[in-house]
Amino acid sequence: MSDTDGLLRGSLSRRRLLGMGAAASGALLAGCADDATNRSVQTAADESDAADVELLNSVLDLELMVIEAYKSAAARLRGPTLQLAKGFLEQEQAHADALATAVRDLRGTPNGPRSSYELPRLRSRDAALRYAVDLENTVIAAYVDALPKLSQADLRSAATAILTCEAEHVAVLLGVLGEPQVPAAFVTGRAA
Amino acid sequence: MAAGAGPRIAIADGPADTAQVAAFERDRRELVRRGLGLGGTAVAASAIPLLLAVRNAFAVTDTDRKILEQAITLEHLAVLAYDRILGGGLLDRRLERQVQVLRGHEQQHAGALAKALTDLGGTPPPPPTGVQAVDRVVKGLGDVGTRADALSFAIELELAAVAAYHDAQPRFVEARLLQTVASIAGAEGQHLVVLRQAARQPPVPNAMETGRK
Repeated sequence: MSDTDGLLRGSLSRRRLLGMGAAASGALLAGCADDATNRSVQTAADESDAADVELLNSVLDLELMVIEAYKSAAARLRGPTLQLAKGFLEQEQAHADALATAVRDLRGTPNGPRSSYELPRLRSRDAALRYAVDLENTVIAAYVDALPKLSQADLRSAATAILTCEAEHVAVLLGVLGEPQVPAAFVTGRAA
Repeated sequence: MAAGAGPRIAIADGPADTAQVAAFERDRRELVRRGLGLGGTAVAASAIPLLLAVRNAFAVTDTDRKILEQAITLEHLAVLAYDRILGGGLLDRRLERQVQVLRGHEQQHAGALAKALTDLGGTPPPPPTGVQAVDRVVKGLGDVGTRADALSFAIELELAAVAAYHDAQPRFVEARLLQTVASIAGAEGQHLVVLRQAARQPPVPNAMETGRK
C-alpha cells in the first residue's frame, strides 16, 4: 500500500464514522432556551470542532506529502519547469500552513510531516510531472470529499480556494506534459 | 451532479443576529456530524433563520435556488462573452480552439446547475442576450478590439466567476451543491491558467485562488 492509499484509507474510515449514529438528531434543533439544551449545543459544537480538526488534519497529511513529492520531483526537473515546481512547492507549503493554523484555531493539534514517505522512484522529467499530476488530483478529490463535512462556513471557502489553486497546478503540469490543460468541465480529482 | 430531490432543510430568509447564525452553524454541523448529509430531516423554516452577507457577488436573501439561478445566469453570460470573442476574429487558431473548449465548459456548467435547480423544484432562468447583459459582471466586452483585450476581458470574467463561487460556498445548504460548485470553481481556475499563459502572465499567482487580485 502506498502512502497515498494509507492517507485516503484514513479519510474513508472517518467517513464511515461520520455515517454512524444518525438517530435522534432532532433534539438539538428542537429548542435553545433552557440551560440543559445550551450545554448540549455547546457539547455538539465541541464535537463538531473535533470533527473539523480531524478532517483538516487528513488533508494536511496529504499536503505535507505533496510537499515532499515536489522536493523529490525537483531532482528530475530543469530550467523553467524546475522554477514552476519550486513555485508550486511554496504554494503547497502555504496550504499546509493555512490548514495548521485552522486546526490550532479550533484548539486542535496540527499533524506534522512524517519522518519519511514512500515515494516512487521518478526516473524522468515526465514521470515526475505525471506523479505530481496524480498527487494534485488526489488532493483535489480529498477536498471535494471533505467540503460537505466541514461545519464552518469559512473553512468551506478556504477549502474551495485551495482546491481551485490545486486545479490550476494540474492545468500547468498537463500543459508542460503537452496534454490538454482543461480536460473536463468539472474538476473532481477523479477520472471522468 | 444534480442535487437530490428528497427532503431537505428549509431555510427561512429574514433578520438574524449573530447568535442565531451561530446556532444555525451548530445545527448544520450537528447534522453533518451525524451523517445525515442535510437530506434526512426537515426542519421548520422558522427555526433556522440565516443571515447572508452583502459582500458577495450573489444577491442577499438567497436560498440554494436563488444562488443557483444567479450562477446559471453567470455561466450563460460567460457563454455569451466567449461567443462574442470567438466571433471577433481576434484569436490565433490555437487560442481559438482553447477558447472554444472554455466556452463549451461554461455551457456544461450552466446545464449542470440548471439540472440541480430543477431537482430543487426551481425553474432555470432564460439565457440573457446582448453584450450589455455581460456588463453586469464585467464591463467592456463591447470595447474588445485586440487579442490582448480579449484575453484581459476573459481573465476578468473567469476571476469574477471564481469569486462568486467562492463567496457562495458558505451559503449553500445542499451538500452536493457544495461539491458541484467546487468542481466548477476548479474548472474556472484551469480556464484562468490557459488565459493567463496566453497573456504571458504567471499562471498561478496565488496559493489561495479566491478570484480576487
